Amino acid sequence: MTRIFFATDLHGSELCWKKFLNAAKFYDAEVLICGGDMTGKAIVPIVSENGHYTVALGGEEQAVAADQVSEVEANIRRKGYYPLRMSVERLHELDQNPAKRAECFQEVMLQGVERWMNMAAEKFRGSSIRCFVCPGNDDEMEVDDVVRRAEMVELGEGRVVEIDGFSMISTGWSNPTPWKTHREDSEEQLAERIEAMAAQVPDPSRAIFNLHCPPYRSGLDEAPAIDADMKLMHGGRALRPVGSTAVREAIERHQPLISLHGHIHESKGAVKIGKTLSINPGSAYEEGMLMGAIIQLDPKKGIKSYQLVNG
Amino acid sequence: MADATIGPPATAARPALFLRNATGLVKSWSTFDAFVYSFWSINLITLGLYGMSYVYTVPDGQLLAGILLFGVLVTFLVITYAMLVSVMPRTGGDYAWQSRVLGGGLGFVLSITGWWFTLFLWAPIYANILVVQFFSPLAYTLGSTGIATFFTSQTGIFVSCLIVLAFVSIVVTLGMETYARIQKICFWIGLVGLAVVCLLLLVYSQTDFQNAFNREATSLFGAPANAYQATIDAGSKTFGGSDFGHFAFGPILLLLPWLAFYLLWPNWGATLYGEVRGAKDIRKPFWSMFAGLWVTVAMVAIVVLLINKTIGWNFYQSANAAYWNNLFAVQGAVAPPVPIWPYPVMFAGFLVDNHLFQALLIIVMGLWFFGWAGTLFLSSTRVIFAAAFDRVLPSWAANISAKRRVPYGALVLMIVPSVVISAIYAYKPDFTSVFLDATAVLALTFLATTVAAVILPWRRKDLYDASPIASYKIAGVPTISIVGVITGLFLLFMLYQWSFNPDNLYGTSLQKTPNSVIYFVATYVVAIVIYVIARVVRNRQGIDLRRIHHEIPVE
Repeated sequence: MTRIFFATDLHGSELCWKKFLNAAKFYDAEVLICGGDMTGKAIVPIVSENGHYTVALGGEEQAVAADQVSEVEANIRRKGYYPLRMSVERLHELDQNPAKRAECFQEVMLQGVERWMNMAAEKFRGSSIRCFVCPGNDDEMEVDDVVRRAEMVELGEGRVVEIDGFSMISTGWSNPTPWKTHREDSEEQLAERIEAMAAQVPDPSRAIFNLHCPPYRSGLDEAPAIDADMKLMHGGRALRPVGSTAVREAIERHQPLISLHGHIHESKGAVKIGKTLSINPGSAYEEGMLMGAIIQLDPKKGIKSYQLVNG
Repeated sequence: MADATIGPPATAARPALFLRNATGLVKSWSTFDAFVYSFWSINLITLGLYGMSYVYTVPDGQLLAGILLFGVLVTFLVITYAMLVSVMPRTGGDYAWQSRVLGGGLGFVLSITGWWFTLFLWAPIYANILVVQFFSPLAYTLGSTGIATFFTSQTGIFVSCLIVLAFVSIVVTLGMETYARIQKICFWIGLVGLAVVCLLLLVYSQTDFQNAFNREATSLFGAPANAYQATIDAGSKTFGGSDFGHFAFGPILLLLPWLAFYLLWPNWGATLYGEVRGAKDIRKPFWSMFAGLWVTVAMVAIVVLLINKTIGWNFYQSANAAYWNNLFAVQGAVAPPVPIWPYPVMFAGFLVDNHLFQALLIIVMGLWFFGWAGTLFLSSTRVIFAAAFDRVLPSWAANISAKRRVPYGALVLMIVPSVVISAIYAYKPDFTSVFLDATAVLALTFLATTVAAVILPWRRKDLYDASPIASYKIAGVPTISIVGVITGLFLLFMLYQWSFNPDNLYGTSLQKTPNSVIYFVATYVVAIVIYVIARVVRNRQGIDLRRIHHEIPVE
């Protein structure tokens, strides 16, 4: 029996990453899978001036003494943002220069991933726990190299890996989004990307498709409708399916044992697509809550049980 | 790719945040759109006029003061729920909050009885509103007396329930995006209709109304001359009369449980906030619910004042007393000369001597029903989804059809029992009190959520401390706990009155309504049984339901 814990869309929340690492012991899981979108969406400047620091979190600017900055930084990381100490001059430079800002973003993101990989190494060194990470569409390509170098974390992207007699394929690429993120394919390209891996799977009935983007019209892909101005429509209650047709077709064609998804945080659920159990555990990284799925795989029966949890 | 800066804070001309391009970064939703949803939930025409037609049972209760007091007290409920949404914007609302704070079993039992089992009872209530505010007055106005009387028969009542269930199912099938558009159209046209009603009641005098009522009572219903006075006389058999200007504090408090029938629900959409990005910003859910509440309170106040001015308060209450007491076979009650529910919209239409205009006004005001009723099961389906995702209910309960995205599992769980309950409502009048309890059981669910809110800062310190409301404190005490206690006391007062009012004022006192007690005890027992079975079955499958909400240690 193999117990897998799957979570996704941590978006830089260090609290959630720590919980993710501890989930192995907490849920007696032998395999951890992080489904993508690890990196945060924002930098919070902590500005050094006049012998103290100022930071605006939640819209309120506050002065912070030097000895309290570490605590503030931890609080910022907990929410999934990157704290960055800087001078007033550096702040204005980043504000006015998009290229510098992009460079700065990449630097802090990669440092963040590096730190997470080191945490995993400390946690799992000497244990038999396997930990997989597959960067998602919000993660820059350079993240892969950091994961690849990690001591105790295996990169999932583009590979077929063996997990106790089951085959897992992974990709964090998604169909096009309005945000034009880092790993977006047309549906045709995404289909080819998935097929290239799926074709190598010896037995689909013992396969895990770890595909960041959920299947189209599955109930796991319902996102609030937005207008051309990126404004939520109808009070945010109007939901539209935004999943991938390529992912759905791949699932319908190959009928893997299980498919794991994320991408749409609000669309938590578990549904059957033919013989395949498709799961999106959702994400509540901003609250520091790790939403995940525990899946027990039986070498003979396939899926023995699954459970969505809020850890 | 970094591409945006956010800020600055009000006092500094510099960015507070650098954002990069990432999925899900959207501009927030319009507070007006959310307000429309909240506004519909406490619909002043459908629920409001229907609920207020019972306040004749508290003849000394000054309705205007009661409405204002209720608005103030429900504001605390709104704050409590807005804060909970801000801490945990979870699909499932009450179920999710109660489960995570009070525990899985207790949360399931308390919320599922309110948001699932009790909603069965609301289908016949909605149907009755549809009949008395749409089918009956429209049929009488157009001279189709046969259709009007059909809907008062047992089969007619059952058919009206089926119509409501079919309508609700269609709305769920269409999806919220389509229905939101329908709601907006109904909202604006309905407002125009209400403006016409108010204008008519404003420009005409009470004498004009008496003459119009007498004319139409004879024309449409075949009533003898001076039906206005005859209605007051009919009411006087069981009703001592009512003076709008009379003020006494005690009776005002007794009005509150009646007003809860429509004013207790500005938080109805809270079960949906898990699907709304930006819900963590407390201002959005708060202002949408708060505006929905107080705009309705203001409109009700205007309508009540106009009813008093033109229709006459004593007449209106006498008509309500005559109608309901005759229907409930109260000892001494006699049938009123106009044998249908006293619908102020229809009365306002009487002021124009043209049946086509009157019919048009009823149709336009009917949009208040059709823009509102579609959400009957929407929240329930979300609660069922949440319970199914937690594996307490079978996974098929959360299934959605691939083609039309219909949540057929949850719909079946709502519709089938609702049909059975509707049949009981139509063919077993002994069970009336069960339906009167529909408000009380939901209030009990809200009370459990309020308790969860009060203890949240200590029970789920992690979530609370990480939330935007962690800094909201009064004298060092978390604001959510303080407003939760006030809300809880308010709900407890009403629950006490519903359950133990010595005069059985609300028709729901436990001692006088054994059927009701049996029904509701049975629903709680069924909920407990479902949870226990789920625990046992899932345990055998290697799933421990207790760990769903257990927090993973951080260090």
